[in-house]
Amino acid sequence: MAVLLFISVLLIAACGLIYELIAGTVASYLVGDSVFQFSTVIGSYLFAMGIGSFLSRYIHRGLAWRFVFIELVVALVGGFSSALLFLAFAFTQGFPIFLYLIVIVLGILVGLEIPLLMRIIRHRYHFREVVSHVLTFDYIGALFASILFPVVLVPYLGLVKSALFFGIVNAAVALWSTFLFKTQIPYPRRLQVLCGIVIVLLVAGLANGKRITGLAEENIYADEIIFSRDTHYQHIVLTRWKDDLRLFLNSHLQFSSRDEYRYHEALVHPGLSAVSTPRRVLVLGGGDGLAVREVLKYPQVESVTLVDLDPEMTRLFSTHPFLTALNQKAFLSPKVHIINADAFLWLDSSPEIFDFIIVDFPDPTNYSLGKLYTTVFYSALRRHLSQQGFFVVQSTSPMFARKSFWCIVETVQQAGFSTYPYHVYVPAFGEWGYVLAGEHEYQPPQSLPRGLRFLTTAGLHGMFDFPPDMAQVPMPANHLNDQVLVRTYDHEWREISH
Amino acid sequence: MKTTRREFCALGAAALVGLSLKSDRAIAGEFVNDSFQMGHMLRDRRQFPAPRQIVRIPLVIAGGGMAGLSAAWRLQKRGFTDFVLLEMNQQPGGNSRWGENQITRYPWAAHYVPVPGKEAEYVRELFTDLGVFKDGKWDERYLCFDPQERLYVHGRWQEGIEPEAELTPGDREQFRRLGDLMQAFRASGGFTVPLEIGISQRHAELDRLSFAEWLTKNGFNSRPLLWYMNYACRDDYGALAADTSAWAGVHYLSSRQKEEKGPLTWPEGNGWIARQLLARVGKFVRTDQMVYRIQRERNLFRVFAGDTEYRCDCVVFAAPTFLAPYLIDNTPQLHDFHYSPWLTANLTLDSIPDTHGGAPAWDNVVMDSPTLGYVDAMHQSLRTFADRTVWTFYWALAEGAPGANRQLLLEKDWSYWKEAILTDLERVHKDIRKCVSRIDIMRMGHAMVRPAVGSIFSPERSRIKRAADRLYFANSDLSGISIFEEAQYHGVTAAERALHALSH
Repeated sequence: MAVLLFISVLLIAACGLIYELIAGTVASYLVGDSVFQFSTVIGSYLFAMGIGSFLSRYIHRGLAWRFVFIELVVALVGGFSSALLFLAFAFTQGFPIFLYLIVIVLGILVGLEIPLLMRIIRHRYHFREVVSHVLTFDYIGALFASILFPVVLVPYLGLVKSALFFGIVNAAVALWSTFLFKTQIPYPRRLQVLCGIVIVLLVAGLANGKRITGLAEENIYADEIIFSRDTHYQHIVLTRWKDDLRLFLNSHLQFSSRDEYRYHEALVHPGLSAVSTPRRVLVLGGGDGLAVREVLKYPQVESVTLVDLDPEMTRLFSTHPFLTALNQKAFLSPKVHIINADAFLWLDSSPEIFDFIIVDFPDPTNYSLGKLYTTVFYSALRRHLSQQGFFVVQSTSPMFARKSFWCIVETVQQAGFSTYPYHVYVPAFGEWGYVLAGEHEYQPPQSLPRGLRFLTTAGLHGMFDFPPDMAQVPMPANHLNDQVLVRTYDHEWREISH
Repeated sequence: MKTTRREFCALGAAALVGLSLKSDRAIAGEFVNDSFQMGHMLRDRRQFPAPRQIVRIPLVIAGGGMAGLSAAWRLQKRGFTDFVLLEMNQQPGGNSRWGENQITRYPWAAHYVPVPGKEAEYVRELFTDLGVFKDGKWDERYLCFDPQERLYVHGRWQEGIEPEAELTPGDREQFRRLGDLMQAFRASGGFTVPLEIGISQRHAELDRLSFAEWLTKNGFNSRPLLWYMNYACRDDYGALAADTSAWAGVHYLSSRQKEEKGPLTWPEGNGWIARQLLARVGKFVRTDQMVYRIQRERNLFRVFAGDTEYRCDCVVFAAPTFLAPYLIDNTPQLHDFHYSPWLTANLTLDSIPDTHGGAPAWDNVVMDSPTLGYVDAMHQSLRTFADRTVWTFYWALAEGAPGANRQLLLEKDWSYWKEAILTDLERVHKDIRKCVSRIDIMRMGHAMVRPAVGSIFSPERSRIKRAADRLYFANSDLSGISIFEEAQYHGVTAAERALHALSH
């Protein structure tokens, strides 16, 4: 009897601490700044417990049933706390309000628990023993929870399910208490039914935990990860959800198989179709082979050279069945030559000439990548471009990063080319921009390869028109010694994510 | 099989050795390019073996640093090829020497040239010859890539070396006031690069007090500002502001226009310029040829170097001027030529240390460190991905007397300096020891001339500068400021004067 009583003290304490840890972790996870989050969550939780302890003096009668009732409320609020926080973050502006509201409510209720419990059992033991036993088990419960949380709960259950699971434990303790204190409870049956309802609710939540996470958690890797590797150069992650395959490089989405054809058709055909007899094509970046797939739709093309830094990337897209299905085994074509090299260095040392060059690099998120968007880089392209040649540059979003986009246009111009910027809508990315450039005048092509899923000759013309919200803004060019683009890009995307 | 106690102990010891190897990775390295042995032979007036051959040649250049190489460049451009350049080291270049390993080339000392202004006529001419300046534009490949500089202050990196983080309004006001004062000095036209173009008696009084005194006198007491001024003096002159002539301090801040976003730099620093010059004038250069005596005989100079005696009509003395009394017969001791001792190190990094958020820059400085920080040799690479690099670590031993610091450089072994360097870098890169595989250290007792109080307008200096009897001094120390432009200016000027003398 006594042992069971004190085990329930241990469990209550463990539950209390788990909710607190979950609140701190969810806040750190979603908002960042973990030191601040944990400090303020723990602080307000402990303070609220103090309020609870203080309030316990105003409860004079019906201690036992009130105790059970408080347990049930804690079970509900605590059990759903994690799910509530994720939903609040996903669907409201007021995450901190929810966070501290939940923390304070839980703190007050948990603060009430121990003083009430001590008063309930004070007649059974000496006061000395009550204090000693209750507090001992209280602290053991805390240790138990603090070890269980990082070692078992977070890795195996996740934050949403851990909270629900401990909500059930809490409710079970409530149910158990109705038997422990049945002599002190006027209507134990009613309370037991109530306990049952709470447990059913929590179990239902647990069964649907994944749906709650899926609904709320804007985790970029929400889908099933089918491939993940840290190569020498980057972190490659491939996810799949039903028929949607997504590639992430260093957590940046590269394509979604549902609409990548829009991106790649628009990248390749407006320029390549305008070259009268394209024989030699160069692709810089584009280790997924999807641009090469589009290039291979031109029978006149005799050779495609692809320069990508990462051999693991090109190997993956030459061998993985899902991926070769996507790029239609582009890398296995005898016309395709893969070179794994640093693009800038390769350009500087190679003498080769091409009729069309596709520049498909990651966005200029740092100074290293920014070098690939400079006047010097585009000038280096000139030596590799045949008389009839054009090149095209993937140029981030003219909608979300408007200044960055027009900065790239200006940079290509200052390198001495005529530019023909255009844009398309790619659902996975939003409005996306390209800069087509050459040393002679560009006329949109009269025909396109057959079998395209998105691009039409009629649609081509509209792509070169920029509505006012994406229209040109005056920007300086991006230089190796003054990378305006990287600063602008960082600033623009930061504004959007806040 | 039973393990005996002896075997068990041996295993244990082996395990311990294994562990200690793992926890403290071995870092290789040595002292490189030491030249004090040769210097001390001159100082101690040691006997050298008698020459085995005599070469008759119109002109000899002594010293293959930037001054000597620039003199050779000028002579060749004038169509004069009847000369040799004698260099005591195996590698020419002087303070523009460079090194190379499997990762990259890297500098041993001078590592940049600010974008030259209109006054630096010869520098612009050279850079036009080298293709750095084309059609009125600087080749962007040679302008320092973005981000150029950063400073570690208040526990994090800020962009730029001038302190900006957590300045008080008072600090800001002083920075602004200093900027205004310097703008006025700049507008006066008295502070130019090369210094010879604009220097005038109008500002001679600045040479009579130290830069630190000048700052105090003008009410500057902001701590970040004073740190920055001391850093500038240590960086350019190897001296504290208290040991620098106020004229030189003002010159540092007011001699350049801020028009181009520079400076010009290369992975091997000014070694790139040295390499380009050597590609043109290398055929005149004789290395491992230390000039140990220059004797004047009526209309002839006898220049002794290695196993050869050169008999020539003219000498361009491009070696540091303080060597003159030890080399040239009947030269009195010099009193106004002071030099700062330096130490530089090249660290081979097999992986890139954690940068804690700040984007790695070309020049990386830590506030309140006694050293000058490090420069990343891979910064100027077009590569988008670098997983290995070489850092050049700069340390002007500015605190204390130069003589005592020279002694320290000689006395302490490689491990001592290695530890000092790693300890300094550990302030900002906790994982530095895990990344470094090699540290080569170069000690220079007389690394650069020091513009001490009174030295810019020193009568002794102008006498040496004006020497007109077919022996022409050419080292940058004639200006009292050790920078590429001064070395080149004096090298070219000496070459012109020698040509003039030879044609008469």
